[in-house]
Amino acid sequence: MFLTRSEYDRGVNTFSPEGRLFQVEYALEAIKLGSTTVGISTKEGVVLGVEKRVQSSLLESSSIEKIMEIDRHLGAAMSGLTADARTMIEHARVTSQNHAFTYDEEIKVESATQAVCDLALRFGESTEDDEAMMSRPFGVALLIAGIDEKGPQLYHADPSGTFVRYDAKAIGSGSEGAQGELQDKYRKDMSLKEASILTLRVLKQVMEEKLDENNVQLATVVPRVAKDGRPSGQFAIMPVEELKKVIEEM
Amino acid sequence: MLGLQPGSSTVVPTSAPVGHRFEPYDSNGGSIAAVCGKDFCIIASDTRQSTGYSIQTRYKPKVFRLNDKATLATNGFAADAEAMVSRIRQRLEWYRHSHGRSMPLHAIARMISTILYGKRFFPYYVYNILGGLDEEGKGAVYSFDPVGSYEREFCRAAGAAQSLIQPFLDNQIMFKNQHSTPEHTVPKPGEMSLPDVLKIVMDSFTSATERHIEVGDGLEMFVVRTPPSAQGEAIGAASVDLKAMGGVEAVGGEDEQEEGAVMVIRRELKKD
Repeated sequence: MFLTRSEYDRGVNTFSPEGRLFQVEYALEAIKLGSTTVGISTKEGVVLGVEKRVQSSLLESSSIEKIMEIDRHLGAAMSGLTADARTMIEHARVTSQNHAFTYDEEIKVESATQAVCDLALRFGESTEDDEAMMSRPFGVALLIAGIDEKGPQLYHADPSGTFVRYDAKAIGSGSEGAQGELQDKYRKDMSLKEASILTLRVLKQVMEEKLDENNVQLATVVPRVAKDGRPSGQFAIMPVEELKKVIEEM
Repeated sequence: MLGLQPGSSTVVPTSAPVGHRFEPYDSNGGSIAAVCGKDFCIIASDTRQSTGYSIQTRYKPKVFRLNDKATLATNGFAADAEAMVSRIRQRLEWYRHSHGRSMPLHAIARMISTILYGKRFFPYYVYNILGGLDEEGKGAVYSFDPVGSYEREFCRAAGAAQSLIQPFLDNQIMFKNQHSTPEHTVPKPGEMSLPDVLKIVMDSFTSATERHIEVGDGLEMFVVRTPPSAQGEAIGAASVDLKAMGGVEAVGGEDEQEEGAVMVIRRELKKD
């Protein structure tokens, strides 16, 4: 792929004669360089887990933020160019708040994911009426977890603007091994606790360093009832003390 | 020449400057009312449209079916009402396309509020009453002012004969000024049966027609309920045979409607 570079990998919106958009494909490659991120959806809720690469002993590991809340009932974990994810999550947050303001209800997980993906495709040259535009595709993929009236859900959104729903998904540098492990170990009737432990086990397998509470982060979305009586979720990033306990149980 | 009166030596002006003013609003009379029960909602209006003393038409519907669980009654300026209902219907369709389901009643209520407030400084001159079933299948009435204030209630009247109908509903539906005696306890509001509420609504409009010149011609009562077919054994409002009362399927709206979810019963009102 890289050997066949041509003038078609310059313009972000130019198809190659074979029908490919190289810049989008390269963006997908950028994710494979990112740290491993795992998500598992169960009947009891959804778990997100990320590896935090602590490059130096002087680095404050709590300052690495790879799981973020979008709204009370949904959150996202990222892999790739994490700075790009801030733009995407900001967009998801605004969309979610606007939905709540206009319709007095919580946005669905799929709709929030769709909003992020709509943004992902808005790269390229600017149009006449809108001068500020993105110059390149996002170099980050998101695992979006949440609960709505359709139950617990996990979505994978990538720089091509595609989103797919998964029971369990791994992205990032260790994703190939991690996805294989998930394929073997995932069961539909898992408890949230079992899913949390599986997430950590999978991360442990693909991490170079020894896994501890400083170099991983977990988040869960557990069931809650919205004020209109419909099923919804509560997103929370697991506090370090609690994470330590889960790691000990592993 | 102008301004000279025959036989008068002084010059008196006979024409004054004519001022032209933009008058974008009219008031088209008529009245609307909605009452909800445990598992149904009735949204009613007369069908007369007038301006001043002149009747423009004897049949102009003011109640609009939105979907299987929501019906909207409008009153005030008919052109604004029509424009607003088209906008609401369009938004409902957009919502269904982007979220894969019909908009629930409380979401429609909030959306109407934001649409109205969005025109805070050139308002739709429309009083709205939204009636239907909530997420739990219970009857619900939402009433609005023209700039978007809204609240959920058991019953509401609006329009030309609001001052005639609302006190009647307060007494008959909310049981205001009724006191329990050892022989008779005053019931709780919102628990009356569908046939009983229908009778009260019909009486409200025949009375309003008697005493208000802008109300009359025809009556349309929309009944929103969980359709009889959706339940195994028809209970509550679903067991009432509306067809026997002349009820027909209400048409219009953004969804693929289910049979019997929204029906309309029409009655004549006095035409004088």
